[in-house]
Amino acid sequence: MGTTMKHALGGETFTVEYPEETPEVSPRFRGVHKFSQERCIWCRQCENVCPNDTIQIVTDDQRNGEQYNLHIGQCIYCRLCEEVCPVDAILLTQNFEFTGDTKDDLAYNMEQLQNVPWYKDIDPLASREPDRGGWIGEGEGEVDYQ
Amino acid sequence: MSLEDPTKPELDAGETTEGVDYDALESLLGEYAIGRESHVNAEAFVVRPDEVQAALELLRAEAGFDHCSCVTAQEYEDRYESIYHLRKYDDPTQEVGVVVPTSRDDPVSESANEVYRTADWHEREAYDLVGIEYDDHPDLRRILLPETWQGHPLSLDYDQEQPQVVEFSEHANPLKEDHSGDAESDTMFLNIGPHHPATHGVLHLKTTLDGEQIADVESDIGYLHRCEEQICQNGTYRHQIMPYPDRWDYISAGILNEWAYARAAEDMADIDVPEYAQVIRTMSAEMCRIASHMLALATFALDIYGDFTAIFMYAMKDREIMQNLLEDLTGQRLMFNYLRLGGVAWDLPEPREDFFEQTRDFLDELPEKLEEYHNMITSNEIFQLRCVNTGVLGPDVAKSYGATGPVARGSGVDYDIRRDDPYGYYDELDWDVVTEQGCDNYSRVLVRMREVEESAKIIDQCVDLLEEWPEEERTIQSNVPRTLKPEADTEIYRSVEGAKGELGIYMRADGTDKPARFKIRSPCFSNLQTLPEMSQGEYIPDLIASLGSLDIVLGEVDR
Amino acid sequence: MTFTETISGLLPIAGPISDFIGGAVASLIIVSFLMSLVAVSGIWGKRKITAAFTDRIAVNRHGPFGLLIIVADAVRLLSKELIVPEGVDRPAWDLGPLVMASSALLGFAVIPMGTLFGLNLQVADPQAGLAYVFATASIASVGLVMAGYSSNNKYSMLGGLRAVAQNLAYEIPLVVTGVSVVLFAGSLQLSEIVAQQGQTLVSLGGVAIPSWYAFVNPFAFLLFMVANLAEVGRNPFDVPEAPTEIVAGWQTEYSSVYFVLCYLSEFIHIFLGGAIIATIFLGGPAGPFLPGFVWMVIKILAVYLFTQWARSAIPRVRIDQLIEIGWKGMLVLSFANLVLTAVIVGVIA
Repeated sequence: MGTTMKHALGGETFTVEYPEETPEVSPRFRGVHKFSQERCIWCRQCENVCPNDTIQIVTDDQRNGEQYNLHIGQCIYCRLCEEVCPVDAILLTQNFEFTGDTKDDLAYNMEQLQNVPWYKDIDPLASREPDRGGWIGEGEGEVDYQ
Repeated sequence: MSLEDPTKPELDAGETTEGVDYDALESLLGEYAIGRESHVNAEAFVVRPDEVQAALELLRAEAGFDHCSCVTAQEYEDRYESIYHLRKYDDPTQEVGVVVPTSRDDPVSESANEVYRTADWHEREAYDLVGIEYDDHPDLRRILLPETWQGHPLSLDYDQEQPQVVEFSEHANPLKEDHSGDAESDTMFLNIGPHHPATHGVLHLKTTLDGEQIADVESDIGYLHRCEEQICQNGTYRHQIMPYPDRWDYISAGILNEWAYARAAEDMADIDVPEYAQVIRTMSAEMCRIASHMLALATFALDIYGDFTAIFMYAMKDREIMQNLLEDLTGQRLMFNYLRLGGVAWDLPEPREDFFEQTRDFLDELPEKLEEYHNMITSNEIFQLRCVNTGVLGPDVAKSYGATGPVARGSGVDYDIRRDDPYGYYDELDWDVVTEQGCDNYSRVLVRMREVEESAKIIDQCVDLLEEWPEEERTIQSNVPRTLKPEADTEIYRSVEGAKGELGIYMRADGTDKPARFKIRSPCFSNLQTLPEMSQGEYIPDLIASLGSLDIVLGEVDR
Repeated sequence: MTFTETISGLLPIAGPISDFIGGAVASLIIVSFLMSLVAVSGIWGKRKITAAFTDRIAVNRHGPFGLLIIVADAVRLLSKELIVPEGVDRPAWDLGPLVMASSALLGFAVIPMGTLFGLNLQVADPQAGLAYVFATASIASVGLVMAGYSSNNKYSMLGGLRAVAQNLAYEIPLVVTGVSVVLFAGSLQLSEIVAQQGQTLVSLGGVAIPSWYAFVNPFAFLLFMVANLAEVGRNPFDVPEAPTEIVAGWQTEYSSVYFVLCYLSEFIHIFLGGAIIATIFLGGPAGPFLPGFVWMVIKILAVYLFTQWARSAIPRVRIDQLIEIGWKGMLVLSFANLVLTAVIVGVIA
């Protein structure tokens, strides 16, 4: 009982008063995706690697991109799409604040994905750069470009 | 005075000082062994379906294979197969498989329930998902899927599109009179769960009460069944399976689970892991263990103290620190997806010194915090009144049910995969396996609390190593091909020490980049099976306490 | 002069009618005060206290210090749908919460709440005051059984039966310990008991320590505190409710207004327990500087704080252990205490 009273009188709290006080998120945090049409080369690796078919890419017969859809309600935030992307066209931002009234609202198209804001102006590329070498251009196996 | 050398342990049949002598085992089995297969982890003997019991009994009694770790069932084009993965509690590196093929027309095989009690649920699962029937099984019903399910989802001819039509009349009527037994009996039937404050998820306990004492309890599981095994069978080895282990035991034990898959797949495809990555893995895995044990402690306090207890919040607060560290390291708080085949996804976060400092701060404060928990919990007389000598699980019963992890160690079974079948960097570090002889709820809680100390010791040593690691040797991943296609019919069963016990993965390759069979041996599944043994004849509060002390996660039980 | 007499004295008429009106008005005032005390401490204070023990902040969004949560909660609780489960035993199910709430309120009729602005806030002061308080307080168990048994829910029934078992086991030590106080005071009349505690026990350096029975007989005080925890059903003795075991015990099936009544009765019960302790052990409304009434409220809230503290720090005992402690421990101790007190009083007197 003494211990609890000590805590009660200590007056320390660990509550984060959320809307007023934003929680610290790690630079590596994986939130909503941000997509860059300028960078994307429509190689479809992200679509292939996605474990639960969250990403849907539509291209025309010249392999020019037409649509890039991502269902952020279905996504499991594994970051594999970012890891395989050779040109950093898709990134997981720190932004975890998103809502939708229906499931349809969470199916983002290309424009919505481009307009996802950076959280606290953190560009995740900066903090994630060091590990990228481990992913690109290595390995002997075939590379599944389509 | 005995002439025997006390340092030399008595050897079981088929055991040599180096390990298992499979030829000796084959001759021990004699006529029972009609074939022999070679799995990556161990040799396996093929046994006729009507001689399963005799063969397993021989292996258990004569050769000392007292731990039926897992039962895998699968269907081939021409046959069904049940594999019993046996090992020894004394030395889990000594393994043997027993393969029981049955024909496709009449998939009936003898039950192993008589030899290993744990086979009960495992065989029910095999029946439920694959469709093999077991003779002499005491209670062969579906376990994960509802009784009304049609078809067996992991069998080859299962039609995914087939609608599951359940007539209204087939539903259990929640309002009907539910006196089990005859009308004269004095017992009362009580549903504890699936929505109950103390079931730690969606677990349904069908209890029969005599007054307030438990006459019988039966766990009804499967409410959280997502067929994780099938999800993994649809994913590629290289990338797509790794995010899912986080979702089995989702209570911050993610990296421990990932390691189970990583270990199995790396051994299967012969992938090396750089030492540096192994140290990071070891450190992050132990962080997960601390977080997981903290939650176990917190919820156990809820079960014993009531819903206004302060301990819950204190433990959650301490777990929060661990989670922040893990977030810095992996980028996520629960679904880490941090390990990769051949290493880890990320090097330590920059600036590295900050990370080390935060970790050390936590480790420095930990003894004081644990002291506080011991003050509030283990040295409290009322707590002892409640927990000592309740939920007793004897070591032999625990072994027979395949209990592992803190549950087994709380029953005095000295079994820890980290030490007995070393992986990662564990064998290079200095730490101890914690066991308690009490066999009761109190011991299990105490084991978890002391394991937190051991994990802290491991993390401390890892941080030392990482700090001094040469800059040029900080390789986090080895060179792994982008597409992995292990040879067809490679089979492996590998396990790691998860937060709740032995977490094993069985995989069979079929030459493609996806596993043909992916089986998860969940420690919670086996541990939960011991609940009736622990709580029969005790009171409802003891049942709740025992359930809490098992520390199950329904995500892992149901998969 | 009691509160009732004061009010009826103000009326232009005399006789039984004016006594009745005076009593009704006096009770109304006391009850509305209690209600607001429950509202503040039950809805707001409880959260804040629990939060303090668990390193949190608790309500802080509604008004200053989150005080307006009281309004929000009142609206929420009252506007919820009243769900009547199938197969409940209707009259008993409806009456259960009422019996619980009113029995606890009845007890306050004889509690000397002290004086405020010269008014003596005691509704009535019968000769058998203490016996009356114990009697009314234990009627609540009837309500618990009614609620538990009529709910057509097995958890409720278990909770109701546990409540009876618990009340049987703890009512006797509670009363017997109370009797030891009566031996000291030589009266069952509560105002007399309070008056007796006004005498000085010892004088230490000019500070007079009053002969509160908590100082005179701390052992009885401790026994009474523990038995009181069981009586009001708080940790370690909250087995009739025991969330995490039997969901919410006897109140599992109650929602909306009926739930409010259950909740209310629990808190009033705690306050009644606090008031009894304050009256017979802590000198009632006595205290320096502040008016007696304020002291009384402080003492009641102190006991309330103690129950909340116990709740956040002590494990719950099992029902069989609880019965064992009650019959084998508390009962024996309380009789020992009674005999000892009798001997001491006999020797001194």
